[in-house]
Amino acid sequence: MHSSFISFFDYTVNGLIIGNIYALLAVGLALIFGVSHLINFAHGSVYTIGAYIGWASITFLRTPLPLTIVLVVLGSGALGMLIERVGLRPLQGAARIAPLLATIGISFVLDILVQLIASPDPRSLPTQLPDWRLHIGTGTVGALDLLIAGIGLGSAALLFGFLRFTRLGWAVRATAQDRDAAQQMGVDVNRVNQSVFAIASALGGLSGLLVGMYYNNISPAMSFQATLKGVVATVVGGVGNVPGAIVGSMLLGLTESYGVALFGTPYRNLFAFVLLLLILVWKPNGLFGRKRVLPPEPLTGTFIAPSKPWRVPAWLLAALFVAAAVLPLFDPSPYLLQTLTNSWLYAALALSLTLVAGTIGQISLGHAGLLAIGAYASSLLVLDLHLPVGTSIVLAGLMTAAIGTALIFPAFRLRGHYVSIATLGIGEIVALTILNWESLTRGPIGVSGIPPLSLFGRDASSNSAFYWAALGGMVLLALLQWRLLRSHLGRTFRAVREDEVAARAYGVSPDRYKALAFGFGGFAAGISGAFTAHLYSYINHETFTSQISILALTMVILGGLGNISGALLGAVALVSLPELFRITAEYRMLIYGIALLLLIRFRPQGLLGTV
Amino acid sequence: MLHRQSFLRLAAAFLLAPIVASAAPAAGESVWFGVSGPLTGQNAQYGAQWKAGFDLALEDVNANGGINGRPLAYVFEDSQSDPRQAVGLAQKFVNDKRIQIELGDFSSPASMAASPIYQRAGLVQLGFTNSHPDFTKGGDYVWSPSISQADAQPLLADLAVKTLGFKRVAVLFLNTDWGRTSRDVFVKAAEARGAEVVIAEGYQPDEKDFRSTLVRVRDAKPDGLVLISYYPDGALIAGQVRNVGLTQPIAASGSVYSPKFIELGGAAVNGIYTNTAFFPDEPRAEVQDFVKRFRAKYGKEPDAFNAYAYDAVVIAAAALREAGPNGDRKAVRDAFYKIKDVPSVVFGKANFDPQTRRVIGVKSVDLVVKDGKWALGDAKIKAAVASVR
Repeated sequence: MHSSFISFFDYTVNGLIIGNIYALLAVGLALIFGVSHLINFAHGSVYTIGAYIGWASITFLRTPLPLTIVLVVLGSGALGMLIERVGLRPLQGAARIAPLLATIGISFVLDILVQLIASPDPRSLPTQLPDWRLHIGTGTVGALDLLIAGIGLGSAALLFGFLRFTRLGWAVRATAQDRDAAQQMGVDVNRVNQSVFAIASALGGLSGLLVGMYYNNISPAMSFQATLKGVVATVVGGVGNVPGAIVGSMLLGLTESYGVALFGTPYRNLFAFVLLLLILVWKPNGLFGRKRVLPPEPLTGTFIAPSKPWRVPAWLLAALFVAAAVLPLFDPSPYLLQTLTNSWLYAALALSLTLVAGTIGQISLGHAGLLAIGAYASSLLVLDLHLPVGTSIVLAGLMTAAIGTALIFPAFRLRGHYVSIATLGIGEIVALTILNWESLTRGPIGVSGIPPLSLFGRDASSNSAFYWAALGGMVLLALLQWRLLRSHLGRTFRAVREDEVAARAYGVSPDRYKALAFGFGGFAAGISGAFTAHLYSYINHETFTSQISILALTMVILGGLGNISGALLGAVALVSLPELFRITAEYRMLIYGIALLLLIRFRPQGLLGTV
Repeated sequence: MLHRQSFLRLAAAFLLAPIVASAAPAAGESVWFGVSGPLTGQNAQYGAQWKAGFDLALEDVNANGGINGRPLAYVFEDSQSDPRQAVGLAQKFVNDKRIQIELGDFSSPASMAASPIYQRAGLVQLGFTNSHPDFTKGGDYVWSPSISQADAQPLLADLAVKTLGFKRVAVLFLNTDWGRTSRDVFVKAAEARGAEVVIAEGYQPDEKDFRSTLVRVRDAKPDGLVLISYYPDGALIAGQVRNVGLTQPIAASGSVYSPKFIELGGAAVNGIYTNTAFFPDEPRAEVQDFVKRFRAKYGKEPDAFNAYAYDAVVIAAAALREAGPNGDRKAVRDAFYKIKDVPSVVFGKANFDPQTRRVIGVKSVDLVVKDGKWALGDAKIKAAVASVR
């Protein structure tokens, strides 16, 4: 008993140490959300850049720790102001979804820049603190652990004082409560926003420096995980709530640590995301979020901007379809054909997401999970149950619809950003389940030898046949969706999106319609995943990453939410652009990111507009 | 806001940059190979290491007559190790008549997604970091000179169990197809050598915090730790091992061998053993030549991935030479059945098994980190470590 108690104590200490690190990230995210109602996906990039500023000043200027900290705080604070000024302020008045996408785009560009300037190799960032360690339990706690805790708590206290006792702090709180009213009272809202971004980014950069020193390891790839964990911690505590963010971080750290203790390391993140979902379902505003502070969004369709969609004339669509359908007859390069095939597969995914995110307003950040379910279902049906490939694809679509809807069902009561976070969590849970359910999915080894596509007993693995199959499947799904949206269902879906309370007042049960949307969306995504599996012949838990979820969302927003032709356009554009930019070699992803930002800047409602 | 003109100028600069950079001194028309690998994204560091190895090998090949008198050249396309882009690139290479052989991709999901396309079109895919046991099952155009874990892990078991005398082994492994395959082989080999594997913990590639995992390891009461890791995660684990109060000796798979392992691990990696196929101080002529030229060209120490990339080009060149001046892609494939004893930094002499299409066997040297440097793990150090324990 005694030794197990020691272990329990050690796990607790370890959980608090890692929670400590998450807290530094979460505080900044919470602050920005509190004022701008924005989940800042660029926070992880600022964190990375902070670490690199620290590395550069130690390496090239040989600065001592206090000066390093000052430089990092100033540098990342300035970066935060720049992000606000260049990326977000021009989008004021646009739908709230536009700034969200802008932060994704900014993070993309910043990460690439770091990689181009500092090389992708991980670097060491030696701690400048004395190597002094305190023995706690059987483990030890170092000076850096205490410094991180001190800075976390200290900055929270400073923030508290700032918000409560300074004029700018009052202005921040006033803006957080009611932006328009604050402006009418003479608060310079832009300045407030900029200050908040500066403070939050300074904290983010500082945490990058400290975490980099803690692990003696910084790399351009560290940003995504940081954002992910920071967002989870923030949401657990209640978005927009600074003390809540700290408690949420500790809770996340402890959950991970106990998860490792009970079930082993591969289950660590699974527990983190299950905790996230439980908290969201149990307390949709987080543990400490007060309901009144956060107006349930969107009551008046502010999350997704209404706009006048540009209707693509039917003759043009028909002409484009005919052109696409006859293309393989003209002996195009297989590379072009493959790129378009990939576009059609992503278009099916985008169709699914534009229905779920656009038409019924449930912004999903976990759509890669649906692809994965479809891909595994079809592969395993063929390999283990020896079903023919075509049948397996249809069944995979149905299974994805069922499983996907069941997974998301508990989150139906959530709104706005919380739906995004819940779906993000579900996407991660799907990937981690695939990793750990070895008897079914073969774990990290993955499923190999997936037979190529064949339809109606005939081989369809040639480039043209696969192309036609993907195009045909995608167009059928698009027509089905178009028909669906023209019926009363489309109107009801949009009614739920615009105002759930009003829809309910009219006797509409939102849950039922959400389930219908996710069911149809799951079917389309599952089909897309199944096709992909037969194209790749090998899949494992890393084939469908959360980057794909974000890519799919970008496609959908770029095309115009809820807009079927827009989803197709977005998919073709975002699959083809990186290929077109290949000629620019290592700059291609940078150019792609900048192009994306410009598009958001000038068409925040999407290329073809929201429907 | 960028002005349109300056944007165009910028774009033009980007467009011209790669063309200028790839101008090579040519004696006649080049023979090309294509590379699909990560230059951006999560695995970009490995793509950069490949490139360094490729360029060095290219100098060597072209200084020694090239491919039957023609210079060897390559196109490196960025796949981000993303299967979707890798299949597109496969089609691109397949359709590019200049390309005689393809190298890569990096990760199994990307490489194995592209295999069916290379196989159908009949272009050799040389996946030189693909140790997934099913990789070469993609077809007779799919070959791999990567070290087979079935060969390498028993050597690690020799080091851990026979040399270092571990009786109760704790294994920490990267939970990917590579790490998992390696773990399975290692556990079997260690048990065959009379040790017991008391715990095996798999961790995610983006994991940074190992303290709780290490408490779990501690509670299993091992007398030695085995890391099946790459150098960044191996260094992270080493840095945290002592913090949770573990003092057992550590042996790591050869994939941690890199100067970066010491840079990232600092003092914490001192005393860690590994056995690696590539070690710069090895006196063999191929190794010394490679190391000397690498240092001269890049001003730093080469590591294992540099060596793999270098070897891959040397092997590809051997096959292209064997295929003859007028050899088509099929002749290149057939050449892989014929080439023998290709000089190799990693293998000494590389020979393919025609059945598995993998290089047979692996040699390795035992190393230990001593005073912040990689050193040959000689008997004296072993005795010293044993007495400390």
